[in-house]
Amino acid sequence: MTSTQHIPTPDSATRPIELGFALVDERELAGFARHERLTRDDYLAQLGEASDCVVLPDDAEPTHFFLGSEFCEHLLPNVESIDRAVALCERWGLTFGLVTPIACDGLFDPLRAALRRLPAGSEVTVNDWGVARLVQREFPELRPVAGRLLGKMLKDPRLPSATWARMYPNGLRAGPFRDILDGLGIGRLELDFPPFGAADMYAGIDFPVGVRAPYGYIAKGRICKLGSLSLDMPEKFSPGHKCHRECLGFNEVGARPGTHELPTSQRGNTMYYRHAKGMAAAVAEAVNNGWVSRIVLSGA
Amino acid sequence: MRITAPISTPAEVEPLVRAGARELYCGVVPPDWIQRFNTSGVNRRVFGNLNGYADLERVVDKATELDAEVFLVLNAQQYGEQHLDALTEIGARFKSIGGKAAIVADISLIASLAANVPDLDIHVSSVATCRNVESARFFAALGANRIILPRDVTVAEIAAITTELPELDIEAFVLNDGCVFEEGACHTVHLPMNKGGPICIDNYQFEYQATGGGQPQERALRRLEQNDLDYKRWLWYRFGNGFTSAPNGYPWGPCGVCAMPAMHAAGVHSVKIAGREGASERKIKSVELVARVLERIEAGEPADAVRKFAVGLRDAPSHCASGYMCYYPEVRSRQELGDTEGQLLTAV
Repeated sequence: MTSTQHIPTPDSATRPIELGFALVDERELAGFARHERLTRDDYLAQLGEASDCVVLPDDAEPTHFFLGSEFCEHLLPNVESIDRAVALCERWGLTFGLVTPIACDGLFDPLRAALRRLPAGSEVTVNDWGVARLVQREFPELRPVAGRLLGKMLKDPRLPSATWARMYPNGLRAGPFRDILDGLGIGRLELDFPPFGAADMYAGIDFPVGVRAPYGYIAKGRICKLGSLSLDMPEKFSPGHKCHRECLGFNEVGARPGTHELPTSQRGNTMYYRHAKGMAAAVAEAVNNGWVSRIVLSGA
Repeated sequence: MRITAPISTPAEVEPLVRAGARELYCGVVPPDWIQRFNTSGVNRRVFGNLNGYADLERVVDKATELDAEVFLVLNAQQYGEQHLDALTEIGARFKSIGGKAAIVADISLIASLAANVPDLDIHVSSVATCRNVESARFFAALGANRIILPRDVTVAEIAAITTELPELDIEAFVLNDGCVFEEGACHTVHLPMNKGGPICIDNYQFEYQATGGGQPQERALRRLEQNDLDYKRWLWYRFGNGFTSAPNGYPWGPCGVCAMPAMHAAGVHSVKIAGREGASERKIKSVELVARVLERIEAGEPADAVRKFAVGLRDAPSHCASGYMCYYPEVRSRQELGDTEGQLLTAV
């Protein structure tokens, strides 16, 4: 009933791995701007101690640089920052990508203004089907990538084994999913590597796959505790109100008492887990086998 | 504007319809599903489902007799490709016994149902996180007849969608069961409470760090800790005032009955009462509560008077006054803030 035809992408194992860094806080562009060119070590240095949870192939060098947030409509970079990042990418010889969140209608005009600044061939990580339509219809010269909010899968770090993930499998190989992405001109998936993920979990997907590392997101809300810090009623803990971007200044880290689960944190409206070393090794194995063709480094 | 209510047994159909619900939604776990896939995960909820097709037929028959419609939830956030044909068959079977619509979040299943069971309406679940006009157009193009908006939207955002897309039915939350995270972006399971429960109320022990390392400064930390206390209070409201009911039996929040006049004016087709897993009495009282407000709206009572009536229904206005029990707190506060144009509601 649901089978469709699709031309598989060539085996990406024959191509070098792509390496990106995704920056949310546009103020940090200044630090990047000091570099005449960027190396993998520059990318890894941005992760601090968490760089221990990343395993990169020897030949992995930066190919992409991303700016923007998948998780919050208040973190869309301003056009000046986008211009600056685009210029830096031209200098570094990297492909630029704008990362976009689930959007309310009020975000579409700022999004259009942001997308107009991008040179042809830039990537747009879309996490909202409406934004995907916008890019396809109004910005056909850009390359949309399905972000990790569109690639649904179970990622609960509290689960004791991989059994649960088998009970709730992902639908990334489903024919209609493939057809819908094709129809929107989306040519690539960006995904998380879930707790208990196996190296081959993205084998056989008919799109090039990128994996975010070393943090995966668990859940994200529209209500933001930290973003409500400076708000009073009725704005406090309710949607649609400007914040002071407190999430760029503070983070929460911790765990459930008495457990040895993956290190967990919350920044703004989003909860994250950090990859264990075994997960990093599994991602590296997936890269070596051509099941993952890009790693995008990002913080929590 | 219709009231959409949850059911988990055939016995709930009549009292809920008599209380004012014109639309009912339910889940079912067919026995052959468990045998085939070794899981009960047919929809978003493990519990609160009908026992099988026989119960589903009883529900549809009784609802039809009472002039109500039945929707079937097939709203897991995602399904494996191995599930799609079986789910499509469930949809076809549901349609054949008189079911009206499937509530679906997974885009592959939406596409499959639209292609293979064209007479079955498709309601896009709140789990799909469709909350803008373009996204609603995307789902409409896939074959959707209705969009169930996620919880955390403003009335202005709802109105923007109903205005732009009058051909689509729009359903919005009005009562019960508050997720903290967006349902479509929460990739967890609700563990049993003794294992942690929903992750948003699990016992995580977090400490604040300043970006770049180290503790926040003392003054900032004090503000953060006060904010945490406020947040805990909001969480308590978010989960039905500690999972309790008012003395007169009406459920606590999250609640949007004050926003019903605005939603009605905006052309919202249905208001959704959540809580398939709840007790029958809670469901019935929930429908009664919403129906009493709807009755006044349909009688043409002014919005301010309806809101005042709604606030008084539970005999505990202080909880309403907290603002933390509201799905749409901006409606409660607009007058207090002098924001009669609703400008606050549209801020990005």
